[in-house]
Amino acid sequence: MPEPILEIENLRVSFATRSGTVRAVDGLTMSVGAGETVGIVGESGSGKSVSMYAILGLLREPNAVIEGSVKFRGQEILGASNEDLRKIRGKDIAMIFQDPMTAMTPVYTVGWQIAEQIRQHTSATKKQARERAIELLAEVSIPDPTRRVDQYPHEFSGGMRQRAVIAMALSCEPSLLIADEPTTALDVTTQAQILELLNQLQERRGSSIVMITHDMGVISEVADRVVVMYAGRPAELGSRHDIIRDPRHPYTWGLLGAVPRLDSRRARLVTIPGAPVSPLDVPEGCAFAPRCEYRHAQCEQRPHLHGDDHQDACWLEPTEKVRLRQRSDS
Amino acid sequence: MSEVILKVTNLTKSFTVRGTMSGKKQSIQAVGGVSFEIRRGETLGIVGESGCGKSTLARCIVQLLPVTSGSVEFQGATLTGLSRRKLRPHRRNLQLVFQDPFASLNPRRTVRDIVAQPLRVHRFGTKDEIEARVQELFTLVGLDVNSLGRYPHEFSGGQRQRIGIARSLALNPELVIADEPVSALDVSVQAQVLNLMAELQEKLGLTYLFIAHDLGVVRHVSDRVGVMYLGEMVELGPAEPIYDAPLHPYTEALLSVAPELDDGTIDKRERIVLQGDVPDPANKPTGCPFHPRCPVAQDRCRSEKPVLAPVEDGRFVACHFPRRK
Repeated sequence: MPEPILEIENLRVSFATRSGTVRAVDGLTMSVGAGETVGIVGESGSGKSVSMYAILGLLREPNAVIEGSVKFRGQEILGASNEDLRKIRGKDIAMIFQDPMTAMTPVYTVGWQIAEQIRQHTSATKKQARERAIELLAEVSIPDPTRRVDQYPHEFSGGMRQRAVIAMALSCEPSLLIADEPTTALDVTTQAQILELLNQLQERRGSSIVMITHDMGVISEVADRVVVMYAGRPAELGSRHDIIRDPRHPYTWGLLGAVPRLDSRRARLVTIPGAPVSPLDVPEGCAFAPRCEYRHAQCEQRPHLHGDDHQDACWLEPTEKVRLRQRSDS
Repeated sequence: MSEVILKVTNLTKSFTVRGTMSGKKQSIQAVGGVSFEIRRGETLGIVGESGCGKSTLARCIVQLLPVTSGSVEFQGATLTGLSRRKLRPHRRNLQLVFQDPFASLNPRRTVRDIVAQPLRVHRFGTKDEIEARVQELFTLVGLDVNSLGRYPHEFSGGQRQRIGIARSLALNPELVIADEPVSALDVSVQAQVLNLMAELQEKLGLTYLFIAHDLGVVRHVSDRVGVMYLGEMVELGPAEPIYDAPLHPYTEALLSVAPELDDGTIDKRERIVLQGDVPDPANKPTGCPFHPRCPVAQDRCRSEKPVLAPVEDGRFVACHFPRRK
């Protein structure tokens, strides 16, 4: 495996609320290698976004408690001062958000916003920064960048706005890009453009990407390795091939089976009974047990990720899993 | 073959808008000359990207929006141009399920009230009869009758969509128009709602017009599929051949880039990534609306607009140069 650029060790994020403590992230351990794309997949409330916000110090909530260890290039960044973090954020680690409209302020031109970021982190002059902004817009294939650079976000279409946000994220050549549902708000054809763009940029620059998404299809297209999260806990972790072709956790089976396919018709979809667990009462044992048809006595205790490269948090015996998976498949 | 239950002929809907800066009046055609039929018991899926006019089409069919021209015939009666009062008896057979289960349920009413509302409006029966029907509907969509006194916010997204479905089925409609009914839901919950809709169709003999942007979802539920682009129907026909061998270059591109699970069972199609964005509907291109982004456009496409024409086996395509037959 390539040398990890980001190492997350037992990350826990909890919020003190009026109705009790909410454990949004509970024991996430993962790493991101140089040049690698890691997908974090899960349904709403699974803690996939919160965990990434937490490591960047973007959780402003005073009632949030963040524990564990996060190392970026071997250096601990959890609990680092805001000033230290600001030097890393936007420069070494950049983030792309789901909604491109809220990621930019409507009152400045797109070019100004990209240039500002460059001037924050480098000694470039105003003029140099502007030139660079035009280059970046061209790099993300925005037509007519010299004109577009002086336009406001509302004059861009949704897909173009997301391109501009990516241009901004790339402005300081980050070694790690965290993309939070970057294509969820976009149409399929635009989504294809953006995914292709991210792929090209990664090849050209060799940066690492963490892709947060709920869409197994997107994971299947872009991720090298995948973390499946449920109720704030990692349920399964492995290569894309492991997760999509040889999934071991019953939750992953359900997630994959629930996706309507382009090549099949009318067979009933596999469903996971019930609704995602409320973060206020995640069971002591396996978080997925209440919805799992294979639960047994041992599931009262919490399973932890185990295995080598392909890890899963489920008490079932490996041979048993293979048998059950084959049965649920047919 | 069963009878035609809904017939839409040349439906056009234009909106007049004022430019924000210029104040000049401008006409935007959201739906342009769409025609199709739905037969009893089948599901027609309409797929297209945002702004293609699929939701406007749904609203025009149920007469929530007046059409600019064209006609909508439902069970032999023409709905276009009818007064509200004359529409009412038809409405009970023609129901809508909305996209957003958060915005489409009144937060200040109990769910019992919400599901009972159409029954009261259409004078279904006595109080007790209505209550019995509400309970029956709740059971039908898989919800607990004991939660009837609760308010919408006490339910999850999937449960709320079930409530919306229960409401739409209250009057035993013939045709249910579902506008993106599962796009706001998580995958596992989405699968539950899709399965529920399939069960209800079998049990009650419903006909669906199912509108969605998700190609997999549309494939999963539909017998026939219509593909819309920029307010126009560009391809229409049975689902399987369209997905296996699309005729219109837009359908082909759309299918080629839909993310799929590469679990070793599928043949990867060659990806066709379209350049640029969907044009502004206020400035529709001349000729074929798709020509500026079409990888195989020729001179004729720029000047002459193709019409949706029958090809073979119930398939229709609006293209001068359809893909391999």
